[in-house]
Amino acid sequence: MSADSTAIRVRDVSHQFGEPGDAQFVQALQNTSLDIVRGELMCLIGPSGCGKSTLLNMIGGLLTPTTGAVAVHDKPVRGPLPHDIAFVFQENALFPWCTIIENIKLGMVFQGVPKSEQEPRARKALEAVGLKGFMSHYPAQLSGGMRQRAALARALSLETGTLLMDEPFGALDEQTRMVLGEDLSVLLSRTEKTIVFVTHSLGEAVFLADRVAVFSARPGRIKEIIAIDEPHPRKPAFVTTEKFAKLRNSLYELLHEEIRKTVDQSAAMGAAP
Amino acid sequence: MSGAALKRTLLRHPGLARPAVVAGMFLAWEIAARWWIDPAFLSPPSKVVASLGELFATKGVPAALRITLWELGVAFAISVVIGLVVGLSVGLSRFANRTGMPIILLLYGIPQITILPLFILYFGIGPPSKIAFGVTHGMFPIIVTIVAGVQNIKPILMTAAHSMGASRWQIFRWVIFPHMIPSFFAGMRLGMTGVLLGVLLAELYVSTAGIGYYTQLFTQSFNPTMLLALVSVLAGMAIVLNEIVRRAEIHFGRWRS
Amino acid sequence: MSPKHDRRDKIASRAVQIGFLFGVILLWYLGTAYWGISRILLPNPVNVWTELKDIIASGEFLPDLRVTLTELAVAFTISCTTGVSIGYLISRSQYLIKVFEPLIASLYSVPIILFLPLYVLFFGLGEGSKIAIGTSISFFPIVLNTIAGFGYVDKIFITAARSMGASDVQMFRYVLLPAAFPVILTGLRIGFTVALLSILGSETIASLEGLGHRIVHLAEAMETARMFAYISFVVVIAAFLNTAVSALERRAKRR
Repeated sequence: MSADSTAIRVRDVSHQFGEPGDAQFVQALQNTSLDIVRGELMCLIGPSGCGKSTLLNMIGGLLTPTTGAVAVHDKPVRGPLPHDIAFVFQENALFPWCTIIENIKLGMVFQGVPKSEQEPRARKALEAVGLKGFMSHYPAQLSGGMRQRAALARALSLETGTLLMDEPFGALDEQTRMVLGEDLSVLLSRTEKTIVFVTHSLGEAVFLADRVAVFSARPGRIKEIIAIDEPHPRKPAFVTTEKFAKLRNSLYELLHEEIRKTVDQSAAMGAAP
Repeated sequence: MSGAALKRTLLRHPGLARPAVVAGMFLAWEIAARWWIDPAFLSPPSKVVASLGELFATKGVPAALRITLWELGVAFAISVVIGLVVGLSVGLSRFANRTGMPIILLLYGIPQITILPLFILYFGIGPPSKIAFGVTHGMFPIIVTIVAGVQNIKPILMTAAHSMGASRWQIFRWVIFPHMIPSFFAGMRLGMTGVLLGVLLAELYVSTAGIGYYTQLFTQSFNPTMLLALVSVLAGMAIVLNEIVRRAEIHFGRWRS
Repeated sequence: MSPKHDRRDKIASRAVQIGFLFGVILLWYLGTAYWGISRILLPNPVNVWTELKDIIASGEFLPDLRVTLTELAVAFTISCTTGVSIGYLISRSQYLIKVFEPLIASLYSVPIILFLPLYVLFFGLGEGSKIAIGTSISFFPIVLNTIAGFGYVDKIFITAARSMGASDVQMFRYVLLPAAFPVILTGLRIGFTVALLSILGSETIASLEGLGHRIVHLAEAMETARMFAYISFVVVIAAFLNTAVSALERRAKRR
């Protein structure tokens, strides 16, 4: 791995909420390092509370690591980098008072895109996610799957080199997720974007990722990285291959023990897992 | 239409049954007032409607109504301005919110009716006291709703705007402000209810001038027809004002559907 | 934000609040004692305190308090019984809800205090008109919340209970009532508060006795210090009643 092919460099980061001794003290992430290559899709997978979303937010500059450092394209991250990084969140983060196209343009207003470019770029992004016919709808008028497509379009329109996706399909039903995953794979094969994708779903990770980083239970660190050697765009038929099943099973083995630990931890604390 | 068909139509359309219920109530009132109740206490609605002309021809009544409407308008405008300024300054800062909100809620909790005599003492029996009393009733609900509207923005929307590089001003202009609009209108609706209550309480309290003088006059001369006509006009005024604010609220809250 | 910073923030805002209250009282004292504000417009806080002690020690407030509380008790009892039973009857049918709920809600948006002159005409200046206005105003939140409580119980609970063979009585006792109870309680609390306010209000506007009447009487006699003392007394009584009712509501909801 040559130095200039590294898009995102995470060095020895830890993150804690609260201070040691406090009742709410949580060590979310411990001494984690990770290099993400330009143009690859890296999936972060792990039990709940292992700090995978925390890591994503630190890469995006929404959280500052307690120790350690993150750099994107050799630029140290000290806050949001709207020209380099775009987010897609799990929850619906579209502004409910704006129509779909207004939402997309607003992102560009924040990023500082000249007015004349906003309309064509918004239309292009909407076309890419197949929502051209819905641009004057309000988010409340769309289904959950369509809303996440719109959120993806907003992130694409920002034309950043890096895309951070925090369980973007997490709130959707299984069928919708599958279709959105296929579409995303097609979309990726056409762009050079570096993508970091947090997910709970083993199938989603294998289907989408070039590499999967498996996290241990809290305090989280990266347990192992698995490469998924399959070109994009991936066909739905990939899911039925033996290769897919093997990769999925090896992920499951890695994760199973960690998930057990997490469930037992929460049971010991008297909380629902 | 036969009775059975009418019944079926009404059962299928509650929207039609509603006016029927209202009509029935007026009919019952008409019958009761005509044949059973002493005319010194209650008059039938037909007589009340017929006396509206006489009411508006009574010297001083149109002026009193006009002044009341003017007081309502001024008190509402002042309440909105104060509510907006205080609500935003308390809502936008964590510290101001923590410090100011308990004081505001404490003042809001005082039964203001007990200090109505003070308003008359300080502002006299004319419009200023009524406007002031309307403002103290109208501004608190507006403040409280605006603060709530500013505060209950989903954190993810702020995070999203932040991640896309929005400046502090842009976040206010494009996130907080549009998010606040529906609560602002909801606050205005509650504020209007408060202003109506405050102004009308003060108007009824002062019996030497304005509406209070005429309600007193009609009550003491056992003239229920004129009293009901006056009260109906005031109620109509309140309904129209409430309806204007309610329509505005619906119009500006469309995206929430 | 770190907990330490948070704590410092909390102390600072408490300090500002206490400073504000002290500032108001200090300005009030200085204004009346040294800056020559007329005693009739604004009495000295020390005088108000003396008057308040006198009112409480002499027990002079008792007859007025009894009148006001009696009116409140009667009005609230009537609006509770009528509000809850009418609300329950309406809530039994979706059709009745559709017909009556919007009707009652739009009636509620009219300032009901406007009926006071009519009530004075019907029932006179005494307790009757106060009870009538208190009942009319508190009836609305109670009936509306009863309809909302019984009328909008989640279908899934009803279906679940039916599937387990619940009888009508069991359905009411174990499903409808517990589901509706918190909503009705909220209605009762709001009803109580508005009944108290409207009774004080109608005593202020037109009456012969009661706490509201006492304040007006003192205002007309220009006994401002004693009026201030009575106002503080009533504010404390109202705050006490409202706090007690809210505490009762919270307790009943916790069960």
